[in-house]
Amino acid sequence: MAALAGLRAPVVWILLAIAFFTSISGKPVDGVLMLIVAVGLAWDAGRRALRQPEAGEAAVPARAAARPRGRPRPVVIALAVAGVVYAVVVGSFSRYSWPATAGIIGLSTGVVLIGWHRPVRSRPGGGRLPVAGTLAWIVVLVAGCLWELASLYLQPSLTTDSYAHPTISTLTDPLLATSPGRMLVLFAWVAFGWYLVER
Amino acid sequence: MTWREVTIAGYVLVVAGIVVLQLLATRTRVPIPSFGDLLTRAMRSRTGRVGVLVAWAWIGLHFFAR
Repeated sequence: MAALAGLRAPVVWILLAIAFFTSISGKPVDGVLMLIVAVGLAWDAGRRALRQPEAGEAAVPARAAARPRGRPRPVVIALAVAGVVYAVVVGSFSRYSWPATAGIIGLSTGVVLIGWHRPVRSRPGGGRLPVAGTLAWIVVLVAGCLWELASLYLQPSLTTDSYAHPTISTLTDPLLATSPGRMLVLFAWVAFGWYLVER
Repeated sequence: MTWREVTIAGYVLVVAGIVVLQLLATRTRVPIPSFGDLLTRAMRSRTGRVGVLVAWAWIGLHFFAR
């Protein structure tokens, strides 16, 4: 019942669509994980909607007090070292291998669970965004997604690359074929994940 | 110009658009939010927050996981 009530959240439908298209593109593990998150989010959103029907889309509860404080330097250094170790270890395995898959799923699950409820540090909420400026961002980002989607559908099949219409995955293949390339990209991915958890 | 060059030019154009918007947001008084402001706004709700985090997780899964 709660999960059905949560289906009103558009993000749930986007995740379900991603789960479907990822699965038919030959990545069943990704699809199943997306499906699990979609159902979990629908259940969570529905449970809150049933508890407080008038509240609508609840804002993320703020963490503690007002001003964001800088993280102590030793903690920052420890996090950076952990990120480098993770990137070196996981990047040393070839792409799509089981050890690499386990490393990615483990960290992804941890970050999504840590960030599910609220940011790990207090942040100013920020006011309303300028409409025209926000629209400019949306136009550019949606154009990027549509361009990638067009390239994907111009391939001979969803699982066969095209030289004439390369997707971002195809273009990054040479970089990710090498260990240093994988390590570099993994470190950037980890750093961006931490940045998001703190937003 | 080949189709491959056209496709790559499209990606370059999108990246250039992102860089220009970010520079306008952070270096000028033009009323454009920075990418960070956009993310903060999107992550104010629980579903938006989880949606953005899952998008990040999906990138890792897509490029590295089986």
